[in-house]
Amino acid sequence: MKRKLLSAIVCAAMATTLLVGCGQKTETKAETATATATDAKAETKDTASDKKVKVILITMDSTDQHWVSVDKGAQAAAAELGNVEYKWMAPDKKDDAQQIERINNAVADGANAIMIAANGPDAITASLEEAKAAGVKIIYVDSPANSEAEATFATDNKAAGKTAGEEMIKALAAASKTDGKIGIVNINASTASTVAREAGFREAFASSKFELLETQYGEGDAAKSQDIADNYITDGCVGIFGANEGATVGVGNAIKGAGGGIIGVGFDKSDAILSLIKDGSLVAAMSQNPDVMGSEGLKAAVKAIAGEKITEKNVDTGVSVINKDSL
Amino acid sequence: MEKKEKQSFLKKVLTIRGMGQVLTVTAGLIVLCIVFGVLNPTFFSGRNVGNLLRQIAPILIIGIGQAYVLITGNIDLSIGSVVGMSCMISATIMTRGVNPWIAVILTIIVCICVGIVNGLLVAQCKLPPFIATLGTMTIGRGIAQIVNNNYNTDAIGDAAQGFRDVFYYGKTFGIYNTIWIAVIIFLAFNFLLGKTRTGRHTYAIGSNVEASKLSGVNVVETTIKTFVVSAFCAGIVGLIICATSGMGTMDSGNSYEMYAVAAAVIGGVSTLGGQGLLGGVVIGASIWGVLQNGLQFAGAPVAMRNIVIGVIVVVSVLLDVIIRTGKPRKKVN
Repeated sequence: MKRKLLSAIVCAAMATTLLVGCGQKTETKAETATATATDAKAETKDTASDKKVKVILITMDSTDQHWVSVDKGAQAAAAELGNVEYKWMAPDKKDDAQQIERINNAVADGANAIMIAANGPDAITASLEEAKAAGVKIIYVDSPANSEAEATFATDNKAAGKTAGEEMIKALAAASKTDGKIGIVNINASTASTVAREAGFREAFASSKFELLETQYGEGDAAKSQDIADNYITDGCVGIFGANEGATVGVGNAIKGAGGGIIGVGFDKSDAILSLIKDGSLVAAMSQNPDVMGSEGLKAAVKAIAGEKITEKNVDTGVSVINKDSL
Repeated sequence: MEKKEKQSFLKKVLTIRGMGQVLTVTAGLIVLCIVFGVLNPTFFSGRNVGNLLRQIAPILIIGIGQAYVLITGNIDLSIGSVVGMSCMISATIMTRGVNPWIAVILTIIVCICVGIVNGLLVAQCKLPPFIATLGTMTIGRGIAQIVNNNYNTDAIGDAAQGFRDVFYYGKTFGIYNTIWIAVIIFLAFNFLLGKTRTGRHTYAIGSNVEASKLSGVNVVETTIKTFVVSAFCAGIVGLIICATSGMGTMDSGNSYEMYAVAAAVIGGVSTLGGQGLLGGVVIGASIWGVLQNGLQFAGAPVAMRNIVIGVIVVVSVLLDVIIRTGKPRKKVN
């Protein structure tokens, strides 16, 4: 009897704490939001007197080389400016829900500005609006979303894709080919930047006689992309396009393994891609400037926090065509 | 006289536990191949058959590792991360100028250690295998990132060309080396599973842990052995990927643990333990590889791919269930 009574009391106590906790949760959330807002406002005033501002970078994941370069650029700019407390947060995999969590964490962590590479244009807009309401400034790096921000630093992916297509047509013409099958190794259907690159690439081929085959998705994994490229080669493709670094490494290695003869064009400039261009397996790669995105993005974030006007709202950080001649 | 002998051989084959599903999915595999071949005859070209077998090889290898663990009634979620770890560790060591073969040995040693840790956590510390390997999965992915300072590695260079040929690009007797590696691993571990005491103990633990313990089976030692096999297989696949790409990528091996489970389960390995043939894993891995390869040649719209793969996987296992539940009724009649 005593045991049952004791356990009943303990249960009731736990239940009461739960209810109390629930009630307080919404209040605490609002409190944190207003606290962050007042903090942000206070810190905005303080920037003039050189107090540290907090900028947090949120990328799509933490392992893709591209984001590591963005982070490096931002770190360099933060070191240069001196009054910035800078952090890099990212989910371990490309996932909308996790990215939203990171945004909320950044706001709760007292960020004055968030630099973000949005997974997709619409998925995270709600949490970005909440962040803006809490007084946090938003800067887009690499991939914007459909929510107004202070500035965007990105590659014009569609234009870069079109340039890649034009490079491939040039190389095919030099090899006396005006028709045949072209394969596209993309990442997935939801990453806006690579989808735009494919759209630009297909645009470049609009008036040509080449047959663009059904796009295959390799998730940006070099080994998977290589299998896909191998299959394209077996199917008789004369040219293959890789839409990001992993895909390009896979395409280049597949062409190398097949003994050459197929025109490969891709994106980004890792060490492996450079050696594939050197030995002729790849014809060209569109090299982005992720470190510029990071450094310019951070500088703009600091400006925005200080209330200064940002004149260049949409900065195309540009691509350069890397081929055998430019190495 | 001859007819009777023929019948008893077939019956003998069918009485092997798990053979029923293997035969059903083999039939499914043959049907799939014919369908893809009809949709695009390039599927049957010599070049594609070589590529296809080479694409199946890594899935088979990790499938064998996962099958070992599944047969004991456990699961290994860390396979994908060990693949990534193996790829990154070997590539990082090679880019520092070390002889590729020394890198191979060091990498395999690290992977075996992960297997031992998994085995100890599950058998000695009695952690649920899901949790234990989930932990090693996350830690392993972290190690893959730290090894080269959160960067993918540089190209492993021309000095490693021999390594790349042995594991991926080279051919022996006209067949890709990767396929030979998978064949050797299959023969070795099939022998271990079917003809040695360790193998019998593996099945025993999967069927009934308590009974095995009381019969004198060293559960801890056998469990560790199965996880070491799994980690070793994952390590080999990581080396294959390093040779394929010529560099180390931090997110290589992503989701491979699920492909390994798919290959094993399609091939008749039971997730409840105690049942499964490695021959089935061969068919399971082949179905998976044929789907990935064939759908590309068939020109299937990308949005449909995932649905098609999922449906075929479910149907191939469902077919076996339907056939097996049908049998007793037929016998009564």
